[in-house]
Amino acid sequence: MAEKLSWTELRRALAVRAGVSEKTAGLFLNGYISQLINGLKDDKQVKINGLGTFKLQAVAPRKSVNVSTGEEIVIEGYNKIVFSPEAGLKELIESQKPSGVSLQPLVFNDQPDEGDFPIDPIKKLGEQADEIVGLLAEIDSIEEPKEPEVPEVPEEPEVVVEEPKVVAEEPEVVAEEPKVVAEEPEVVVEEPEIIVQGPEKPEKKKYHFFRDVLICVLILLLLLAGGYFFLRSQLSGILESMLKPEPAQTEQVEEQKEDDEGEEDPMIALIPEGDIPQEQILEEFNAISGEPDEEAYSDLITIEPMHEGSRLTWMSKRFYGDKRFWPYIYDANRDQIVNPSNIEVGTPIRVPRLTQAQMDTTNSAAMEALEKLRIEAEEACKK
Amino acid sequence: MIAEDAGLSKKDAEHLLSTMNAIIRENLMAEKAIQLQGLGVFEIKERQARVVVHPRTGERTEVPSKNQLVFRPVSNIKDELKKV
Repeated sequence: MAEKLSWTELRRALAVRAGVSEKTAGLFLNGYISQLINGLKDDKQVKINGLGTFKLQAVAPRKSVNVSTGEEIVIEGYNKIVFSPEAGLKELIESQKPSGVSLQPLVFNDQPDEGDFPIDPIKKLGEQADEIVGLLAEIDSIEEPKEPEVPEVPEEPEVVVEEPKVVAEEPEVVAEEPKVVAEEPEVVVEEPEIIVQGPEKPEKKKYHFFRDVLICVLILLLLLAGGYFFLRSQLSGILESMLKPEPAQTEQVEEQKEDDEGEEDPMIALIPEGDIPQEQILEEFNAISGEPDEEAYSDLITIEPMHEGSRLTWMSKRFYGDKRFWPYIYDANRDQIVNPSNIEVGTPIRVPRLTQAQMDTTNSAAMEALEKLRIEAEEACKK
Repeated sequence: MIAEDAGLSKKDAEHLLSTMNAIIRENLMAEKAIQLQGLGVFEIKERQARVVVHPRTGERTEVPSKNQLVFRPVSNIKDELKKV
């Protein structure tokens, strides 16, 4: 768009085409423009047939900030000129091809997949765990229909031989677990690979390879899952021991109470993490990465038995990401908690699912309710 | 009204008006900008191709680049009309 039809050129062209003098054309053009401006001033809108419409559009005043001083200033409202070409002219111009570009809209069908894949390695551990669990379930379900297929394959005895093999290998898997933990980075890298392999499996039609691959993948997955859970429990152990000093500072009331009582402090012993059943961890996991829309107070994330050395605040931190919400857990378990700072080991603690509003620290109503619960809980401590 | 301003007959003014529209169109089709003194510039701008995503299906479609007619008023007109 380098070329431009200048005022004089336009006037000359107009004069020649219309068969009038250049002076007349100039007069006409001046009149044309002043009429347009006056029309805009008076009516806020001028329509020129065969060309388009000029409009005055009001821009509302808005607040802004002076960049150098940080002062708030008000940008006053003003009018701006908007031109919208007539439909026919617009189409005509739009139909002109910009050089070398096809007009066909291109649809990228594969792109969403490509877009999703790079995200995989960044996925949260919880999501990965979910995926692995899903894959395991998938494989289990694939394995079952495998047996009816066996008669079709001529090597029946082989299958029988191989299946015990899998079973025989499983103890090995368990034995190997510590190894996996030692190779932390490897585990993390390998997980996305499995995710890629997963969708491929159903496509394989050769039952020979299919079975072998399936067994291999199954073993690998078991190994990884085992290693993963071990890792996870290890991590949560570190987390809890890190958190240990914090509650001591923030909940002096509880602390004092415990000090008064002396020996009955349940904080002292952190139980070895291996004692936590794996199923339970899995359950917690699903809960943490669960759906965001929480509804009622009666809706539970999980029921977890109180174990030695645990506290309500830690559970709050683990399930809600903030230890301040522990009074909610207390409130949900009033029937079985007499003293919130001294809960009997093994008591099944119901962990309620909280609503967004309840967990909103900026919501003063929710915070007041929480404070009220906290005071009640502290009073229960003193009884 | 233009006729009165420029001291022309109504018929002439109409003739000139249609001729002018024709000239503007022709020049625009040739991707030439048109300068109207004291008013502004009509020009063609190329809108670049962009990828849009269908919000529901997540389907990605490329909207091809296209030309657009743009009017750029000169600054004194802009200022004049800011406060009406």
